[in-house]
Amino acid sequence: MSGEQTMNWTCEQTEVRLGDYLDGLLQPSERAALDAHLAQHCERCAPLVDSVAQLVGNLHSMEELETPPRLVYAILDKTLGPRDTVVAAPGFFGWLRGIGMPRFAYGALSLSATFLMIASASGFSWRHPKLADLQPATIARNADRQAHLAFARSAKFVSDLRVVYEIQTRLRQDNNELPTSNEETVPATAPNPAPGRTDGSKPGSPNQQNRATTIDRNIQLLATTIASRAYLGGAPLFAGWGSGRKNP
Amino acid sequence: MEQDAQLVQQCLQGDGSAWEELVRRHTRRIFNICYRFTGNRTEAEDLSQEVFLRVYRTLASYRSAHGGFATWMTSVTRNLLIDHYRRTRRDRLTDSLDDAMPVVENKQSSARRPDELALLGELSSQIQAGLTKLSPELREAVILRDLQQLEYGEIQQVLSVPEGTVKSRINRGRIELARILQQMGVRPS
Repeated sequence: MSGEQTMNWTCEQTEVRLGDYLDGLLQPSERAALDAHLAQHCERCAPLVDSVAQLVGNLHSMEELETPPRLVYAILDKTLGPRDTVVAAPGFFGWLRGIGMPRFAYGALSLSATFLMIASASGFSWRHPKLADLQPATIARNADRQAHLAFARSAKFVSDLRVVYEIQTRLRQDNNELPTSNEETVPATAPNPAPGRTDGSKPGSPNQQNRATTIDRNIQLLATTIASRAYLGGAPLFAGWGSGRKNP
Repeated sequence: MEQDAQLVQQCLQGDGSAWEELVRRHTRRIFNICYRFTGNRTEAEDLSQEVFLRVYRTLASYRSAHGGFATWMTSVTRNLLIDHYRRTRRDRLTDSLDDAMPVVENKQSSARRPDELALLGELSSQIQAGLTKLSPELREAVILRDLQQLEYGEIQQVLSVPEGTVKSRINRGRIELARILQQMGVRPS
């Protein structure tokens, strides 16, 4: 068989209509003609149809490749922008950049000072810190106690100042009543009292003068001590006064 | 199809998750078209990204009345592949001189990555090599019909040519590929 023409079907027709033949798009009469042409063992068409038919079968059986693992994320990055996970590390540590700013340093310093003041006012012991001292109830209780103590010390200081002032006032009055100098109170010749004194006044003796001066000095010393102790929050002011004991 | 159109509408309203879903649904198909056309895995990945980027930018121009989203996306892919083919024509001219020498052909085959060979299989690898020797018009027709298994009407939409031209290209592409494989000494199973 030459293969040029078999039963009104040419080899050119085979080549042109082969796609329709393999896809089942030929009319029944055309298909029958082509089948008859192939049945004649056309040397040109039979190998062609066989090879193309096998090729199409192989193409249909070829499996799709799997998607590369990172392709979807690359596409999303390219279209929607970088994902959150990409910027997660800089985003998480981004707030650290503000630490270097002066505003943050001032704020941190103020906060620390406030915290120290509150802790000190609440009676927190820095030398022997306890976790229980940091409880809100303990802090409130200690702060209340410290406030009351401060108020009591202030009230007592004012009261003590008033007492001292009254004592000083009274002593000044007493001093005004006493002679102010030895020349006026002590005669020039002690063994011999001044004869011819006619005003009837009773001159003060040196012992009386010394005693008044000593009392005045003690009162001033006491006032100074009271003031300093009250200011420093020491022991009761008049605990040992009058019994001869010195204040510690 | 309807789900794709719905996802597109959500994308146009600014829903990023809808776009992500669209990407996941179509990435594999687009990557395969690109790979079958170029025969190079890296190029296929780059081209797939470009396809989705172009689709993302022109999503508002998609009209569901004119066809399915998959067909529209395949059309975008085809246009980009043809652009890529024209851009790289000079490189291929150099390659075609090398291809004339059988030693170089063997070298090219052995230069394929082992995972690709394992993945495709020997025959698939040879068919893929034959595909890249087809002209782009015939190649795209064979890929769309026999690998993506699109209907003639869909291929007509993608290629924007009459149905007769589609049938002719598919037929000539198959015959040409069979001859190329025969020249390569490949025996179809």
